[in-house]
Amino acid sequence: MIIGASVLEDVARAFLQGLPPGTVYALVALGFVLTYKTSGVFNLAFGAQAYVSAVMFFKTRVEWEWPVLPALVLSVFVMAPLIGVVLELLVFRHLRNSSAISKLVVTIGLAVALPSLAEIFMGFETQSGRTPEGVLDQGASVFYDPFGIYAFSRNELVAMGVAVVAMVGLGALFRFSALGLQMRAVVESARMTELAGIAADRVSASAWALSSLFAGVAGVLIAPRFNTLSAADFFHLGVVAIAAAVVGGLTSLPKAMGAGIGLGVLIAEINTFLPRFAESRAWLRPIQDNLTPAIPFLVLFGVMVFVPAIRRSRDASDPLGGVDPPPMSIGSVVRTRQQVLVRAAVTAVLTVVVLGVVLGRADQSWMYLVTQAVVLATIFLSITLITGIAGQISLCQGAFAATGAFTVYQLVERYDLSALPAAFIGAGIAAALGALLSMPVRRLGGIWTAIATLAFAYFFDSVVLNLPFVGGGETSLLTGTSVPRPLVGPFDLADDQAFLVFCVLVLAVVSVVVVNLRSGTLGRTLLALQGSELGSQSIGISPARSRMLAFAVSAAIAGFGGGLLAMQQEDVNYASNFSPFVALVWMVIVVSIGCRSVGGALQAAGAFVLFEPVILKGALFGWLFRDPERIPDFFPISGKWVLVLFGLGTIMYARHPEGMAEYGAHRKAAKAERRRRAAEDRATAVAVDVEVAR
Amino acid sequence: MTAVLVASGITKKFAGIAALIDAGLSVEEGERVGLIGPNGAGKTTLFNCILGVTPIDGGTVTFDGRDVTSDRVDQRARAGIGRTFQRIELFADSTVLDHLLIAERVRNGSGRFWKDLLGLGRPTAAERERADEVLTLLGLEELAAEPVERLSLGQCRLLEVGRALMTQPKLLLLDEPSSGLDRVETAALAATLREVQQQQGFAILLVEHDVDLVRSFTTRSYVLDFGHIVSEGPTAEVLASDVVRSAYLGDMEVPT
Ligand SMILES: Nc1ncnc2c1ncn2[C@@H]1O[C@H](COP(=O)(O)OP(=O)(O)OP(=O)(O)O)[C@@H](O)[C@H]1O
Ligand SMILES: [Mg+2]
Repeated sequence: MIIGASVLEDVARAFLQGLPPGTVYALVALGFVLTYKTSGVFNLAFGAQAYVSAVMFFKTRVEWEWPVLPALVLSVFVMAPLIGVVLELLVFRHLRNSSAISKLVVTIGLAVALPSLAEIFMGFETQSGRTPEGVLDQGASVFYDPFGIYAFSRNELVAMGVAVVAMVGLGALFRFSALGLQMRAVVESARMTELAGIAADRVSASAWALSSLFAGVAGVLIAPRFNTLSAADFFHLGVVAIAAAVVGGLTSLPKAMGAGIGLGVLIAEINTFLPRFAESRAWLRPIQDNLTPAIPFLVLFGVMVFVPAIRRSRDASDPLGGVDPPPMSIGSVVRTRQQVLVRAAVTAVLTVVVLGVVLGRADQSWMYLVTQAVVLATIFLSITLITGIAGQISLCQGAFAATGAFTVYQLVERYDLSALPAAFIGAGIAAALGALLSMPVRRLGGIWTAIATLAFAYFFDSVVLNLPFVGGGETSLLTGTSVPRPLVGPFDLADDQAFLVFCVLVLAVVSVVVVNLRSGTLGRTLLALQGSELGSQSIGISPARSRMLAFAVSAAIAGFGGGLLAMQQEDVNYASNFSPFVALVWMVIVVSIGCRSVGGALQAAGAFVLFEPVILKGALFGWLFRDPERIPDFFPISGKWVLVLFGLGTIMYARHPEGMAEYGAHRKAAKAERRRRAAEDRATAVAVDVEVAR
Repeated sequence: MTAVLVASGITKKFAGIAALIDAGLSVEEGERVGLIGPNGAGKTTLFNCILGVTPIDGGTVTFDGRDVTSDRVDQRARAGIGRTFQRIELFADSTVLDHLLIAERVRNGSGRFWKDLLGLGRPTAAERERADEVLTLLGLEELAAEPVERLSLGQCRLLEVGRALMTQPKLLLLDEPSSGLDRVETAALAATLREVQQQQGFAILLVEHDVDLVRSFTTRSYVLDFGHIVSEGPTAEVLASDVVRSAYLGDMEVPT
């Protein structure tokens, strides 16, 4: 009896404990659903927006020592809605007719760009301990215990209070104001509203302002819970809120809210009871601490896979959902075989020249960077395959690469295997993982593949990584995850030059494989599937099989590349190399430079690794002037500009899905075509003149 | 003669509203059958059920003597059901020739992953030859290298027919092939189809609003109205019957 009572008490305590974070999730979920429904944008940058407000609040409160009120007004009530309106006006308004995928990619780009932009302009660096206090004094140290089982901190009470006020306010706005009514109408059916003559532009801008305000509020409320303000943590928060929104069916605001609170409570309950459950189960112990942060992602993944209705929620809920024509697709450049060969030859010659220069003249640090770029190019080719050729946005390429890297680490560490065969085994395991993951994911399609892979990436990050036979568990905390370089025949790859040559060879082989796959049955099948899934099936193409193959091969390439990266750095370095946020940045850079061609992947890797040291640090100028002294004063420029530049580059992608590299070629081709036409016209005109003269 | 397709008792509901109720039809080998009915009668939906695009709420589909009710779309397609779409389903970013080549590759089943890896997956001369045949047949040879985005609606419909023909179907489902084509083009398409059909002996099930085309092209017809098959018989008789007058043409005049 006594045990029963105490268990009940624990349940209640966990419930109360889960409420404060739950209400914040609810807040973010609410804002998320609002933009999703009014503008069709699945906003992955939502966490980034919250981050910007949190940083601003930190700046004003801690560094400039403003009083609470003006700090709040600036960071939450001015800044946050402003960002929303600007994004709507400058970006999303112009993407109305782009595909859902393009819009999603843009929000990923923004998720990468916004935090860096804010950090640059506000002069903020992520550092331990740099996080604002709560809105009220001594928020974390004064407690209230209304029920005698759980003591809420002042911060928590504020969070709940504000969340409740915000929700009630939103409800009132919807019920009683004209704008709210219009917003609700847009939520019901954007097209219907437009037909009825309501300016969707204005409504959409207001919705963005409002939802961004929610992001800002949530950012400031949640900030004191973190020990450090970091963009990655806030992105994570955004994904948690997405889980709530998706559980809530993505259509209804009250349900999203309920799901947010429910998620908060669920996490607290599991936090309370899992340790007891794990006490008698040894296998649970290593992952016990990390299972709770993974819950939102498990929930997200589960709901998407097992509740197919969610995926159609927006279309199904809009009575006029089917009337829009599908978005136009931009034809990629059609090249003749000759052009392809010339390009390949030029690339090969260039590679040899650069390689020669680097091998002959570069010092150790440059050699290191170039090698890293070459290895990353190999990994990026996995994105070329899955995104450029198969048309799927996969956000878990980092997890696949990490699988390869950890396999190498484990096999070398435990079984003394040479790193090279270990890398092949790693690629194989990654391929199996990719194939396995493709089974639930492949039916999703569109943005849902992206979200599911993102959920998987976070699941890998918080659970799989901590298993002793993956990340090494406690051993790796003590000794690191070191990976030696192998001997290949007579060549010892511990030598940096030999290793670089080896990596270039691998890159060449993988490039050829990708090109072959693209022009072979698989590539053409995937292209057909991208063009029209139904059309493809009607001639007998099995989407499941093709996509599984694409996922498996892409994962294998990423896995092998991951193994190479670990060998290059002689350590896995998971956090800086493979974490979900890093993989996000990969995707952003590859997509904005060009995910359809092998060249795009190579350039993207170059940009990712070398843009900062060569351009931003001013090395190029130093080299051009032959004198490091004469590098202009405004160098070095912050490396964060790389993220800003390529993050915003995704907006280009949404308009020109072939990417910057291809877009240039495309324009050139178009120009040539125009010139040819003009010449033809002139010729005809001359001919006509001659006729007339006769 | 044996039936190549027997669909019986097909029932399909969308959110509780029935689009098809106990609809059944059969097509004999090499036969040309019409399926007519007013807008929203459920013709396209019936095609979707036959091909397996949408799960059905009741009924069975037997194709070529085999129950295919639980087969996926691509399995039914490989079994020999070809189809064109009312709303064009061509492959964006692909050329006209690409459409036919990939269809041929899937049909002959010679695609292997290892061949792709070694660069042996490109279209073969034999495949190009077959594609050229179909292109010539449909008069699309000039457009072979054009991306589909540059085609007119009529040309898109022709290409869909060509893509379906590449699969060498036993039954071809045509969903309003004449919309977007002018009279001359329609007549040419009908002539071509009849010619290929006589060569290869496949059956055709035609959904069409162009009454003249149905009359001249099909020997037997079904009438679908509000999800029910309301009439069936030789096309000339069906078109002349009162049922069609009231159901299909409503208050319009029947062209004679
Ligand atoms: N995916 C869907 N969801 C909901 N309802 C649908 C769906 N597809 C079709 N319907 C409905 O089913 C009914 C039959 O539609 P269908 O497209 O089969 O008609 P049809 O005979 O092909 O008409 P048309 O001559 O205009 O092509 C219509 O009322 C339509 O609104
Ligand atoms: Mg129809």
